[in-house]
Amino acid sequence: MKQFIIKKPKLFELIDKLARETTVIAPVKQENFTSFAPITSAAEIVWGAPQTVIPPKQFLYPQSEDLLAYEFGNGEARITGLNAVKERVLFGVHPCDLNAIGQMDRIWAEKNPDANYLEKRKAITLVGVDCLAPCSSDAICLRLNGLDPKGRFDLFLTDIGSAFYAEAATKKGEALVEGLRAPAKAADGKRLTAVQKKRTALFDKQEKKLLPKYKDLSKLMKANIDHPVWEERGKLCYGCGSCNMVCPTCYCFDVQDYMHVSLVKGVRSRVWDGCMTEEFAKVASGENFREDRSHRLRHRTYRKLNYLYDKWGESFCTGCGRCVKACLTKIVSPLEIANEIYSRKI
Amino acid sequence: MKTLYTPEMAVIKKVIPQTPLETFFELELTERKTLGHKPGQFVEVSIFGLGEAPISVSSAPEPDKPTFELCVRKVGNVTNALLEKKVGDKIGIRGPFGNGFDIAKFKGKDILFIAGGIGLVPLRSLILAVLNRRPDYGRINVLYGCKTPRDLLFKGELKSWECGGSVECLITVDLGDESWQGDVGVITTLIPRVEIDEKKTQAVIVGPPVMYRFVIRELKSRRLPDANIWMSLERKMKCGVGKCGHCQMNDIYVCQDGPVFNYAELKKIPESI
Repeated sequence: MKQFIIKKPKLFELIDKLARETTVIAPVKQENFTSFAPITSAAEIVWGAPQTVIPPKQFLYPQSEDLLAYEFGNGEARITGLNAVKERVLFGVHPCDLNAIGQMDRIWAEKNPDANYLEKRKAITLVGVDCLAPCSSDAICLRLNGLDPKGRFDLFLTDIGSAFYAEAATKKGEALVEGLRAPAKAADGKRLTAVQKKRTALFDKQEKKLLPKYKDLSKLMKANIDHPVWEERGKLCYGCGSCNMVCPTCYCFDVQDYMHVSLVKGVRSRVWDGCMTEEFAKVASGENFREDRSHRLRHRTYRKLNYLYDKWGESFCTGCGRCVKACLTKIVSPLEIANEIYSRKI
Repeated sequence: MKTLYTPEMAVIKKVIPQTPLETFFELELTERKTLGHKPGQFVEVSIFGLGEAPISVSSAPEPDKPTFELCVRKVGNVTNALLEKKVGDKIGIRGPFGNGFDIAKFKGKDILFIAGGIGLVPLRSLILAVLNRRPDYGRINVLYGCKTPRDLLFKGELKSWECGGSVECLITVDLGDESWQGDVGVITTLIPRVEIDEKKTQAVIVGPPVMYRFVIRELKSRRLPDANIWMSLERKMKCGVGKCGHCQMNDIYVCQDGPVFNYAELKKIPESI
């Protein structure tokens, strides 16, 4: 990891230049919410709060993404090419989302590498920006090991007052700020540490407490498959799947064919799907393999805190708080569920 | 760019209606010599414009045979469209997917095949593979249950296996008709009629989800050890490559780690049966 100091005006100039020359995606204000979108200048960027409704995973794994295109001729289908992937800069990503992207990198690359994701991932320069205060009262990132980005970026910026303290984890990150960076000095490092210490204290004060130890979460889940919390919270679930849609580490998808109105061509797309919806595990014969809402809530929570935790050694909830906000009946918070299980032993 | 989701094309070589609902297809890949599957594996059948459906391969793996067989029940968009296809038409195929049966584990054993309804389709692949090397195995029983006599699949084949003397078949239907002379009742009623050697018998079960618990209970009452009970499970296999999440039961992706499971392992998976 290389450390630099970048003067703020210099960085803004760079973003302006990049926005002109290539595609820069950053959090911007849209009506009364924030979302990741292409920008034309640095002035459009929303720094810190509020968190975007949809996580930046949408640029690596879009809500709807063509897997293949085909044309019909002489009564048979012929598979045609898809558009090439373009280079983009994904700027202003919070540590929780950097962790989530790092986790998705592992998921899509394991066993059967998914080129659709990996090609897009390769073409992204990932620039994170540290959070100096919780983005909302729903954030639980400090508790779920999501506030430390753990090197899951090309470049990571921390606002230390007059300048940004920049860490480059890759050559791509270094190259991005070539020419406007100065090596970080010991004094800069001290300022960074002071900023981080103050920041962490603020998060610790404001975020809801996690009662069990983080490292015990998976064991706690596994031991409580029949805990009444699943039924109590599950029966309130509308099965809307909002928690799935806003989650940076939910990656389940449905595959659908769309015919062009001309009926001579079509595409096969994958679209985000959610394990909390009733249809998710239902097969054509009508059999539903996860019909009960409480089982669906348990499945979602287990994926984050048990199955993937055990497989990869970390919580797959990075504490962004989006599901907590999106949930209509306020049942889905992994932290609250863990706390309830912990405090009500069965 | 070819990806995990790009189908290969296959030509339909034969179409044989089996029952009012099920049709048998023989297919040949256009760019590869053979599918190269194991018994119990499945493919994603692709109808462009409609989508994909997971279908079990029904033929035995035969390295020199260029074609493979599917038997498809019309139940959704894709399978309805597939049943409209004719000899010479092309469809998309991805796979084979899944673990399949490890046939080596059955060598020297008695095998008790238990099929419910369309469960005979994946099981046929294993039965045929076993029959191709008949001397390698002990006694072979096939128990097969269907709703009505009209729903019986591979009727001719069942007879020919039996007539060859290499297999004993018992067939039952939930509801007979005027011409039905055979057994009436659920599949578990056939189990007391077969010999089970708790050391030697390997039971292989494929059927609708509701069937497994009852059949296993019956086998357990005959003292068959968990490790001698095998089954292939149905789930919503959408991607086939362990990504889309639909087929998951607990932390297991059925499309990758299944669909074939041994009961000793399956017992540890609460969402399995």
